[in-house]
Amino acid sequence: MAPPRGEVLQGTLDLIVLKTLDAMGPLHGYGIAQRIQQVSEDLLKLNQGTLYPALLRLEQRAWISSKWGVSDNNRKAKYYSLTRAGRKQLASEAESWERMAAVMARLLAGAAGA
Amino acid sequence: MGRLRIFASRLLGFFHKRHLDENLDGELRAHLQLLAEENLRRGMTPQEARYAARREFGGVEQTKELYREQRGLPFLDTLLQDLRFALRTLAKRPGFATVAILTLALGIGATTAVFSVVDRLLFRSLPYPHDERLVSFGLLAPIERNEFMLGASYVDFRKEPGPFEAVASMAPGSADCDVTEENPIRLNCGVVEQTFLPTLGVQPILGRNFMPEEDRPNAPRVALLSYSLWKSRFGGDPGILRKTLSLDGSATRIIGVLPSSFEMPTLSPADILVPQALDEEQQHKSAPGAVLRTFARLKPGSNVSQAIAGLQPWFEQAIQGAPPEFRKEIHLSVRMLRDRQVQDVRLASWILLGSVFAVLLVACTNVANLLLVRATGRERELAVRAALGASRARLVRQALTESLLLGLLGGATGCWVAALLLRLFVSIAPEGIPRLLQANLDLRVVVFTFGVAVASAIIFGVAPALNRPAPEVLSGKQTNSPARSLLRQILVSAQIAISLVLLAGAGLLLRSLWNLENVPTGIDAEKVLTETIALGNYRYPNAAEQIAFFTELEGRLKRLPGVSAVGVSDSLPPAGQMRSTIFAAIEVAGRPLLAEGTGGMVGWRAVTPDYFSALSIPIVQGRGFQQEDRLPSENPIVLSETLARALLPNENPIGKQLRLFRMQGPWRTVVGVAADVKNNGLAAGSDPEFYLPWKNDPVVSFSSANVILRTRMNSKAVSAWMRGETAGLDPTLPVKIETMSQRVGRLADGPRFNAVLLSLFAGMGVLLAAIGIYGVVGFLVAQQTREIGVRMALGATPQNILKMVLSNVARWTIGGAALGLLGAWFCARLLESLLFEVRAHDPFLLGLALCVLLAVAFLAAWIPARRAMRVDPMVALRYE
Repeated sequence: MAPPRGEVLQGTLDLIVLKTLDAMGPLHGYGIAQRIQQVSEDLLKLNQGTLYPALLRLEQRAWISSKWGVSDNNRKAKYYSLTRAGRKQLASEAESWERMAAVMARLLAGAAGA
Repeated sequence: MGRLRIFASRLLGFFHKRHLDENLDGELRAHLQLLAEENLRRGMTPQEARYAARREFGGVEQTKELYREQRGLPFLDTLLQDLRFALRTLAKRPGFATVAILTLALGIGATTAVFSVVDRLLFRSLPYPHDERLVSFGLLAPIERNEFMLGASYVDFRKEPGPFEAVASMAPGSADCDVTEENPIRLNCGVVEQTFLPTLGVQPILGRNFMPEEDRPNAPRVALLSYSLWKSRFGGDPGILRKTLSLDGSATRIIGVLPSSFEMPTLSPADILVPQALDEEQQHKSAPGAVLRTFARLKPGSNVSQAIAGLQPWFEQAIQGAPPEFRKEIHLSVRMLRDRQVQDVRLASWILLGSVFAVLLVACTNVANLLLVRATGRERELAVRAALGASRARLVRQALTESLLLGLLGGATGCWVAALLLRLFVSIAPEGIPRLLQANLDLRVVVFTFGVAVASAIIFGVAPALNRPAPEVLSGKQTNSPARSLLRQILVSAQIAISLVLLAGAGLLLRSLWNLENVPTGIDAEKVLTETIALGNYRYPNAAEQIAFFTELEGRLKRLPGVSAVGVSDSLPPAGQMRSTIFAAIEVAGRPLLAEGTGGMVGWRAVTPDYFSALSIPIVQGRGFQQEDRLPSENPIVLSETLARALLPNENPIGKQLRLFRMQGPWRTVVGVAADVKNNGLAAGSDPEFYLPWKNDPVVSFSSANVILRTRMNSKAVSAWMRGETAGLDPTLPVKIETMSQRVGRLADGPRFNAVLLSLFAGMGVLLAAIGIYGVVGFLVAQQTREIGVRMALGATPQNILKMVLSNVARWTIGGAALGLLGAWFCARLLESLLFEVRAHDPFLLGLALCVLLAVAFLAAWIPARRAMRVDPMVALRYE
């Protein structure tokens, strides 16, 4: 039986997208989706369609910007890239995520030990 | 900041839907193709690759939907959608839309028109900065119901203005003054202190205020022009400050122009302001000095009661200077300027505003009823929409949008109705409603109108909107929702209650008006013409010339054909503008003066011998005046019956000697007693009065007078002759000619205005209630058609059916009427001070209002109920 694929937590998708763009540089929607699945080794269940409202949301907050370009196989595609504000946001969110994860880990470890 | 940016981007998204949609389509298509190509590379067939790509991607349409919600303003999108839908629904049923919009327009229009009038009286700030700190202050006495101060005490007071930041005085009323140069005209002059404009906070738009040294006796003459005079006479000349104006014969330098919004705090007309030039020494010497209107600006943070407390010591001192008999009857008063300006009309304003809101409420109730009827017809539609997944909130929102649209359309139409009504108000309004002519539908009023429209929409829209569609409607069966029928009956009961209150109020005012118009005045106003003439002080500087003018005019008019009597008097009954003195100041020979108190007011007039016959005032004892009485040696006096009884009880007054005005002047001989006339307006009780002959007497002023002419000829022709004769003597004089009946009738203008308006509103209320009853009964009959059919099939006669329908109507009509009687009972009390010789709880009038309303309700119910009688059982049973 394949391990159950985790749902993407509400709000985490933003962080994932920002991190992806930070790591990979400008990417189109398809590229971002591929990259996420690749990194998560198919453990995350991502409806690729949900990516687009998230991209729009990030763009409205000016954390990412977009422009039309041409993909490797000569196809017109919209490329998203991280802005300076986005980079700042990524740093702060990553930090709070790590804090949260550490707290959760400690809590769960304590619960297991008891 | 961030939120603003998101909003801006969403707004952009809202307006560029198509372009952005194409963009998104392209992006998603590219994504799918890339996915499919990837799948191809993995060795799928092209078709498989496309399906797999779709699966991985998820729902394309859902993505688009989510994306759009994130992109635009979904709230606005829904609103537009609802509005489009509402417009379509309304257009589909133009009858319903027309009735609803007209009903609302009537209610909102009437409310707007009344509001535009009372707003200026009750709510809108006065045209002075920080008007909430402006007060009228001073003394109140029985003779004077507005605050005043006396010159001698004011000139001392202003040096130490106690609790006030600034004080200013002006001469009461407005004086006539004449421009005596090319194009002579008569102007209204405001005679004011130099602190007047600064205290009010008014800045001339051109030039400057008076200097202290210009406000002294014998200073060079200067004047400020009103904006309208500057525009009309000088064409708005910007170089006006270099000009002089010949005012009452002396050259006066123009030093400034007042703003167009300027008005006197007394609301008296003023074309021009001149300095008061109060002579302090003179005021002290002639103590108590001139009567002054006094105004002040409160210190920031202080209020009226603090000001009253602060003035108390000064008042204690000032009262010592007053004549002793006045002391008990003089009060200290400080009032907000607005209160002083609207004292007479405040109550009437609130009552009219309240009653017009009641009409609006009835109109809203009607529309709510109409919407409920329509909701019944649309139940299936709503049920289908609910079944297809519309949330309850969404349905309520849709219904409220429709109401809002109706409300706004009603409001827009209402503005137009308001403009018409306002024109009607102005044409029937009495003189003396402050600021009525300024009333118009400006931005503030229009904002109010739309506020009212939205509020009404919520009031009439909520009940139908909260209506929950029953799922069984889907089955196609028509349901009778008893809750809704009950609600509609309650609404109609409420309409009946409100209409009854309005009707009862209108009845009281109409009855009171009838009493007022039929009050015995003591004069015969039929066939009498009056001519009011004010002589300018410049052309007629002394009493001799003034008397000569009127004597000459009297003689000329007497020679006109068909004229039976011509009299001249300085004032005319029954209005209350006669001269007056106090009872205590009249001395009867051989008797001590009244020891304490004023004894009340006594009015008096100077009249020519024919005055009594011209007005048909009977002389009940002795004689009236004769030509010989006008000789300087004669000092006769005629008393009114009441005064004769009060002065000389149980004595024959003829031949008795009197001295007037606290022992000033000669002893006068009572030659006659005239019947009492109304002399304080129509409603107020009359004062006792006496008559002096019209002749050169230092106590009489002759600068303005009324000529009274009794004729059996056509009044139009005679008034033309009068005008001609006057112009023959002096063509420059402004003349006002009216019939005596017009003059008397004008005194009832205020009550008439209130009565007409309230009747209008009551009529609207009753009409709307009748429409409401008609609608509800018609609907109930339609709903009960099957029941009626069954009953008829089982042997009920049409009469039985009529009785059944009407008894149902009677139940909630009587319920509403009972509530209305209760309301009328309470509201009548508010009207009490507006009533004349009719009790607020007059059972006859209340009963009459009830009968009228019940009759209208019955008629409105009977028409549709008759339809129930004619129901054919065969048709009815197949109904649906």
